[in-house]
Amino acid sequence: MKADSVQRIVIVGGGTAGWMTAAGLAKLLPRRIDVRLVESEAIGIVGVGEATLPHIRAFNERLGIDEAEFMAATRATFKIGIEFNDWGAIGDSYIHPFGGFGHGTGAVDFHQYWLRLKQAGVSVPDLQELSMGVQVARQARFGLPSADTSSIASTFGYAYQFDATLYAPFMRKVAEAAGVVRTEGRVVGVSQHPESGDITSLTMENGDVIEGDLFVDCSGFVSLLLGKTLGEPFEDWSHWLPNDRAVAMPCKTATALTALTTVAAMPYGWRWRIPLQNRTGNGYVYSTRFIDDAAAADALVAAVEGTPMADPRLLKFVAGRRRRSWVKNVVSVGLASGFLEPLESTSIYLTQIGITALIELFPEKRIADIDRDEFNRLVDLEYDRIRDFLILHYHATTRNDTPYWDYVRTMSIPDTLADKLELFRKRGRVVKYREGVFLDASWIAVYLGQGVVPEGHDLRADGPPLDQLARGMAHVKTEIAQAVAAMAGHREYLERYCPMEPMA
Amino acid sequence: MSARDRRITEIVVAGGGLVGFSAAAMLKRKIPGATVTVAGAAPADALSERLHATLPSLVGFHADLGIDEGEVLLGTGAAFRLGSLFEGWSGKRPAYVHAYGEVGRPMGVAQFHQHWVRMARKAKAPPPFDSHSPAAMLGRGARFVHPQGDANSPLSSFEYGLTIDPARHRDLMRAFCRHLGVIERPAGIADVRLGGDGLVEALLLDDGSEIGGHLFVDCTGPAALVRSRLAGGFEDWSQWLPCDRAVFAAGPGSADPPSLDTVTAHAAGWGWQSVSRAATSHGLVYASAQGSPDFAGETIVFRPGRRSQPWFGNCVAIGDAAVTIDPLEWTNLHLAHSALDRLISKMPDRDWSPVELWDFNRECAAEAERARDFVALHYATADRPEPFWREAASAPLPDSLAHTLALFRERGRLPLYEEETFTRHSWTSVLLGQGVLPRRLDPLIDLVPPEQSEAAMAEIRDGIARMVPQLPTQGAYLRQHSGVPA
Repeated sequence: MKADSVQRIVIVGGGTAGWMTAAGLAKLLPRRIDVRLVESEAIGIVGVGEATLPHIRAFNERLGIDEAEFMAATRATFKIGIEFNDWGAIGDSYIHPFGGFGHGTGAVDFHQYWLRLKQAGVSVPDLQELSMGVQVARQARFGLPSADTSSIASTFGYAYQFDATLYAPFMRKVAEAAGVVRTEGRVVGVSQHPESGDITSLTMENGDVIEGDLFVDCSGFVSLLLGKTLGEPFEDWSHWLPNDRAVAMPCKTATALTALTTVAAMPYGWRWRIPLQNRTGNGYVYSTRFIDDAAAADALVAAVEGTPMADPRLLKFVAGRRRRSWVKNVVSVGLASGFLEPLESTSIYLTQIGITALIELFPEKRIADIDRDEFNRLVDLEYDRIRDFLILHYHATTRNDTPYWDYVRTMSIPDTLADKLELFRKRGRVVKYREGVFLDASWIAVYLGQGVVPEGHDLRADGPPLDQLARGMAHVKTEIAQAVAAMAGHREYLERYCPMEPMA
Repeated sequence: MSARDRRITEIVVAGGGLVGFSAAAMLKRKIPGATVTVAGAAPADALSERLHATLPSLVGFHADLGIDEGEVLLGTGAAFRLGSLFEGWSGKRPAYVHAYGEVGRPMGVAQFHQHWVRMARKAKAPPPFDSHSPAAMLGRGARFVHPQGDANSPLSSFEYGLTIDPARHRDLMRAFCRHLGVIERPAGIADVRLGGDGLVEALLLDDGSEIGGHLFVDCTGPAALVRSRLAGGFEDWSQWLPCDRAVFAAGPGSADPPSLDTVTAHAAGWGWQSVSRAATSHGLVYASAQGSPDFAGETIVFRPGRRSQPWFGNCVAIGDAAVTIDPLEWTNLHLAHSALDRLISKMPDRDWSPVELWDFNRECAAEAERARDFVALHYATADRPEPFWREAASAPLPDSLAHTLALFRERGRLPLYEEETFTRHSWTSVLLGQGVLPRRLDPLIDLVPPEQSEAAMAEIRDGIARMVPQLPTQGAYLRQHSGVPA
């Protein structure tokens, strides 16, 4: 039985964001709302958000989704991190793992001891060799992290790589089972209340009128309700993140099936490689200020490792976000609210943040300002921190091989990032945030990976004798090697745990 | 020149009080190869050195230093404390407990307090929120046990502080400093000599000697004898924290002390009673603008606020030299210890790089402001008829607290901020204890029907009510487990 005050929720757009939102709302707020999702099969979905962050597991769990079933349906693989090639300098390679370094416990960060040894001229393994997550990924193995927190095998996390064009249909099933009604068709008109400006209804191509109390804009880059109808300004960040195109092309998997997304820096941007069970996703993200579409497509075709499975497909975007994501009775989720290039796999994460915040701040029929304000505060915080983290990858480089790299290397950066960088350069310290997606270990991995070398280290790391520390490092390396060797191959694990259904 | 040459190894702590000796001990313990000297007297007007009630961070502080808890209990007559009982703060509502632990347990995806709010909205006399907190009920029963390691135990998710005797505690820290090799110069601080670079060069003592060093840690109380000689302003919080006087009185301790202290609202302020084995501390905090209450004791004048930059150049202010706050909720010594931990984890070198000092000051500011908000919350939401309280209830709030209160009053949600001292269990204990009920319910609560969550709440209450009488009183526990003589 639904309450009398039931609210009519209308979601516009049925891509990843739309169906995730529909499933989340319908599952978690069943008695309050009727959810209708409007989408048109004539409009394609962007659907390149194939690589995720570990947070998605909590989202799926909250919705009661079975992991193996979900992975089989979306041809998913595990993901333990992102491999960055040629970023700090051509020839460099590092992994940003989901996880830390060493055992990751203790008052003094593990990397501080490592820095001290380096600075004392003692020979130590590369920090990458002292990360369980990095080594599992490098060796194309997989096993669930150990529940025993004293074990080195507990020091990593995981996410998924999946086919986003299959994830949306999977979430659609979840949503429809929870009562979401889907309406096929194109929106041709939007009506607003003459005084409040709230959106009152959508008019469909066939003349149907769909009324609602709250509208969730999941229309993608078009931003049909928030941008086009309400005119919420777009904050353009392309001076920091100049990439504005991506060309994507899947191919057959020709290399080992690693639990890794690879992002290789290119002369005018970067290229992703995301291995799924049945294919590998590839794409080149670039800036049209420095290279044209045809040249970028050629570069992608030349770089992919397996037989292409489709023609190159083009996507256009601008980095930035709407000034506010929730205005009047329109909440935008996903690309309709903003876009940050998927260098650190944050697209689906930002979508998830929007959905979670909407659910936790779900309004009454008459929307209170405080709900909107808190929602916008939370979303802004996430965007700003991810933005800084992304800019770091471009700014902290020695690459000077093209005008593109000259530009990003020398551009002015946000003050917030400049402070963070200077603090790390001094003594390897990370500005602490309790909230925000990327924790200390992520920043450390990327700083060091990009060649930002601290001048000093934490004084407390001077406590233990050098030889004892060096032995400790060697021991960690051995522990990791043993723990990794005990794991199954990634492909073997997938075949046992969540084999995809045979392709039609 | 190697990096090593710029290391900070000579540290001078100004102010030989509880905060000063705590600082000296921690610095000596944690900074390899450091020489630490303490100079000057204990400040008489520093609230952080005078309060008997302390937060759980003190227990962690001792553990970090390697000071045995049994030794503290035996040697100084300290007792365990689980929280405070607040009397007279919220009209006709019953007294409430703020203890340092979880209240209730998760049910579905909505937070526990939302379930309680749903029940409280329709019940005439709802069971108190704190009756779902094992630590609060342990406290109401004057009982104590340590938190249990087994995560399934209802007694696993709380923390405790200590009720100390500050003078004896200072002596304990002083003796510990000696044991660690901290140098003590008991002469008073007569003056401070600055160098041409604007840094502190030396403390000049009243016996004619002087002490130079790399880093000067100012623990001299609100006067900030050293830090005040360098640049920087003070942010006054009087508009948000109306009280400016604390009167201290003392009495004998108890062999069976309660595990809660009592914090009682008065016509123009509030009073406390904290009992340990060593002593009973009681007193009043009030606003001098409303006249002086009839209460005999030693008066400390304070001005709530914080130094904008506790760390400047080679001098860092800790304790009341950095932040002075109304002692309600006993954050004073906690803020000192927390700043000390931060100082150690962010120790720079003698280049005094601005970004490293900025990082320290930024976190200190955020932490102090959140503690201020938590204390101001009590004034803003108290329900009493006197002019002082009516004025406090209508006074403007800091933006961050205004946002917190607005969000909670609307829908029972708490925003997340950085550097929060108190958990959401603490915030909800005070908010709901003071009678702040959200206007509407969290819609996520629908997933658990009212009958189901009410039955679960009753089970939690009954479980606690059955358990508490079987646990020892604090006195019995001290004798059985902590080696305290009968």
